[in-house]
Amino acid sequence: MSRKRHRLVPETFGLKRRRELGDVEADPLRCESVHVAVTRCLRPGSAREAVAEIVRLFPRVLFEDALPPIALRSQVYSLVPDRTVADRQLVRSVRATNGKALSCFVGTSEKALQEQGEIRIVQLGFDLDAQGIMFTEDYRTRVLKACDGRPYAAAVQKFLASVLPACGDLSFQQDQMTQTFGFRDPEITQLVKAGVLTVRDAGSWWLAVPGAGRFIKYFVKGRRAVLSMVRKAKYRELLLSELLGRRAPASVQLGLAYHVHDLIGAQLVDCVSTTSGTLLRLPET
Amino acid sequence: MLGFLSARQAGLEDPLRLRRAESTRRVLGLELNKDRDVERIHCSGVNTLDIEPVEGRYMLSGGSDGVIVLYDLENSSRQPYYTCKAVCSVGRSHPDVHKYSVETVQWYPHDTGMFTSSSFDKTLKVWDTNTLQIADVFNFEETVYSHHMSPVATKHCLVAVGTRGPKVQLCDLKSGSCSHILQGHRQEILAVSWSPRYEYILATASADSRAKLWDVRRASGCLITLDQHNGKKSQAVESANTAHNGKVNGLCFTSDGLHLLTVGTDNRMRLWNSSNGENTLVNYGKVYNDSRKGLKFTVSSGCSSEFVFVPYGSTIAVYTIYSGEQITMLKGHYKTVDCCVFQSNFQTSTRSQLNPAFEDAWSSSDEEG
Repeated sequence: MSRKRHRLVPETFGLKRRRELGDVEADPLRCESVHVAVTRCLRPGSAREAVAEIVRLFPRVLFEDALPPIALRSQVYSLVPDRTVADRQLVRSVRATNGKALSCFVGTSEKALQEQGEIRIVQLGFDLDAQGIMFTEDYRTRVLKACDGRPYAAAVQKFLASVLPACGDLSFQQDQMTQTFGFRDPEITQLVKAGVLTVRDAGSWWLAVPGAGRFIKYFVKGRRAVLSMVRKAKYRELLLSELLGRRAPASVQLGLAYHVHDLIGAQLVDCVSTTSGTLLRLPET
Repeated sequence: MLGFLSARQAGLEDPLRLRRAESTRRVLGLELNKDRDVERIHCSGVNTLDIEPVEGRYMLSGGSDGVIVLYDLENSSRQPYYTCKAVCSVGRSHPDVHKYSVETVQWYPHDTGMFTSSSFDKTLKVWDTNTLQIADVFNFEETVYSHHMSPVATKHCLVAVGTRGPKVQLCDLKSGSCSHILQGHRQEILAVSWSPRYEYILATASADSRAKLWDVRRASGCLITLDQHNGKKSQAVESANTAHNGKVNGLCFTSDGLHLLTVGTDNRMRLWNSSNGENTLVNYGKVYNDSRKGLKFTVSSGCSSEFVFVPYGSTIAVYTIYSGEQITMLKGHYKTVDCCVFQSNFQTSTRSQLNPAFEDAWSSSDEEG
């Protein structure tokens, strides 16, 4: 039973923020990532740092650098403590509610990352919730490299130059493409062939990453494998440090730390803090 | 807290501030009450609870065996250990008892002389509390999932009823017949709720993933259909205009009526601005919900930052409404929790569970009596 009386109402109505147990949880995970700044031992406070952190964990070597490093939205939730703040920093449309005690206030001058055009969010097909985030620069360079010398190169370059900076959405409609951006049907077919667009339904397309199929395959397999590692443990719970110390099974190609961030953020495992560190436990439901 | 008390004594602080601070502190310290218990009458799951709004003293509960029980929550004995006794009950031997499971009970909002109950046996019954006889019965063609009567209505006595059919029926207690039908949903209506701010505004939630806001005086249709993507089709995976990616199970207005909370079977809870239907995009994380009928949850009232209590499997999850952060999970029940109610005077939250039926009172630990 949770008996922690961990807050008292101070002089104002704001709740005194409990010091998050970021240190204990972050450390084992950060040991895995190579270029970590040791000076700040807390979780990154902002979404940009979270995305950069995950991008560092992404195995570029596996895909021969042909794929831009993709972070998932659930991984950002595992690194940024407050989900609403993370959403607000990622996507432009989250507006502050004028509740009486809004614990995290984002300065109005700070624009969301997607609004600034710094990141692109992409719908990964396997799950309604799973959205991939990558830096726009990475995406653009990789796509240009992939379509080099191919017949659809011209259409792709036109797309990258005109549509990407103008429209930050996940999907595009038929009339938007033909009227606003001036694409003809054969050009759109070329874009689909190039892998930049994926058909969603008649007359609308998702933005996609060319060559992401392999990533999604490894990701789904790896997620299932890491979950089964926790499931097979005694009492269906594992210490985080022990999980990261184990040898990754063959189906986990993207790295244990990458998958653990995703599982924590997607709430597929419960994170319990204990005296020996963070414990990952499968939820009973 | 001592600072608050001395400031109040010196007149530096508003009395309301002290009251809110104390309420918030108590909600944050909610625990299973060791001293107080509720007498166990139901043999099977308890589906619904309601505490009367006038004094907060009497509580009604409706079970899946059709039994309705009335409890007195007040502790008039001097002992700290106290069992809330059942004052009376509509048992299986009562001639007018519901045939099947009682889904919703509600006290008449203005006094405790009357209460209404609706059940899977396609009826809504209006009971006289003192004699425990039926004052009126409304019959419907389909099973009734939920009903609600407006807590602030002075000009009308309408009860909104959500059934398995796609039409919301409004029954008038004064005339004894169904006065309106609201059309617009496509599948069964799982939850209905009147706004605590405006007496003509009604919110309904349906299994077709839509939640609608209605003004019952308007003949043409609903006011707003809540859209989780706020009209941006590009972010939507499926068709637009849905409040959730699954059935919308539960509805609750905040105590000031300015916001509306909905839960859905896509394991999400969303907060909406009730005046323009905009999704405020507060992210509560995964709110596990696999209930096939309605889920009854509740919000606190009178605290400085409002909390919502949602049944989450066999626990109750407590979240701050406007920032989405999870405060705690209240553990204590053995099986699935079905519904919870909040009593603002003593900051207790009572909840019930599926099978066997237990009602537990949770209160902050220093409550007297």
